[in-house]
Amino acid sequence: MCIRDRVSTQSTWDIQYLRDLMGFKRFVQAGRVAYINYGVDHGKVCVIVEVINSTRVLVDGPTLGVPRQVISLRRLALTDHLLKVAKGIHTKALEIVIKKNDLVKKIGESSWAKKLASQKRRAELNDFERFQVMMLKRQKAYLVNKDIAQSHGAKPKKVSAKKPKESKQQSNMKPITITYLHIRK
Amino acid sequence: FFFLMIRRPPRSTQGVSSAASDVYKRQVSTQSTWDFQWCQRRSMGKESKSQFSLKKVKQYILVGRAKPVAGQKEEPKVYRMRVFAPNTVIAKSKFWTLMRKQKKIKHTGGELIAIHEVIENPSKSVKVYGIVLRYQSRTGYHNMYKEYRDTNICGAMSQMYMDMAGRHRAREETIHIVRTCVVPESKIKRAETKSFTNGNVKFPLLNRISRPPIKKFKAFARAKRPTLFLQQNNSDS
Repeated sequence: MCIRDRVSTQSTWDIQYLRDLMGFKRFVQAGRVAYINYGVDHGKVCVIVEVINSTRVLVDGPTLGVPRQVISLRRLALTDHLLKVAKGIHTKALEIVIKKNDLVKKIGESSWAKKLASQKRRAELNDFERFQVMMLKRQKAYLVNKDIAQSHGAKPKKVSAKKPKESKQQSNMKPITITYLHIRK
Repeated sequence: FFFLMIRRPPRSTQGVSSAASDVYKRQVSTQSTWDFQWCQRRSMGKESKSQFSLKKVKQYILVGRAKPVAGQKEEPKVYRMRVFAPNTVIAKSKFWTLMRKQKKIKHTGGELIAIHEVIENPSKSVKVYGIVLRYQSRTGYHNMYKEYRDTNICGAMSQMYMDMAGRHRAREETIHIVRTCVVPESKIKRAETKSFTNGNVKFPLLNRISRPPIKKFKAFARAKRPTLFLQQNNSDS
């Protein structure tokens, strides 16, 4: 019998076991914020409103662009965020809770969202910007290799790549900070 | 006059069922669903593109009667039936099968007055559906009462068919639906349904395999084995 069956039919003792001994922190529950990984709404964030069964949940995202719908748990990735809502909460009430908790802002600040944003930026680069990135990478590699060659046995240090002196595109470029692991001989 | 009969609200099911005597017998569809125009309007309603309910069957209402015979004093009685079927063809077939068995009216001697699809509102809340069914196994007939959590009756029906096929090897043709209803929380019979109806239900997601968001990006071969513990214990989302 898998853990999932035990969880659904037995007492909270199992939840404690899962949380404290097994180290699970994120649970499928009413109010859990989740990313949608697959399907029409992929990339969006939603709130689990009600658990239907061990494979499907009712999900809603009023200000997040997700219509109220049934979705498979296979399509979801749970986050740390948990809203305090009663199961089956209506869309309008959920919207108020989301606003109150400033969920949109919190999600924007998470590293996942930042990674998504940088991926999107990378995809949007034009040819010149890609050239700039290439030059920066080359510079970075030079600095890194130089540092390695110079400091056998010394502590690693943070190196910042020098930005080329360009005009407008520069504001769009993200500063590259390089930390590298000291390669032992 | 026959249309007047069609618009009459649904009567409660006749007789007592020993299998589901405790179960609340209210029909899922309200009076307005018997209205043909209402059905039409509903069918043009918006449904989210990514609705995930299983859609093996649709709900139909069929109305039919025996063909009137010359010299008959009374008009033949009109019968209405609620059928769950994947399409209208099978729905009609099921209707006439029942008419033949119960009312001795054959397809050739009868006429179908109306067939409407009953479309429920898109999912807003999760309900527990109780289904009383009768199915034929390899050795005999059996009655069953099953409960399913779903947002609409067709989804629950689809679950039932899949469940019956998986657990009892009963195919769709051998299953007859006796009664369906929405079960209030206090009357839920099955432990699993009860546990999920509990507001405090929670469980972690285990054995997670990440997959690309679009089927197009699915790789035929990968260099690395999948990591199954993604998105579990990270302190940052």
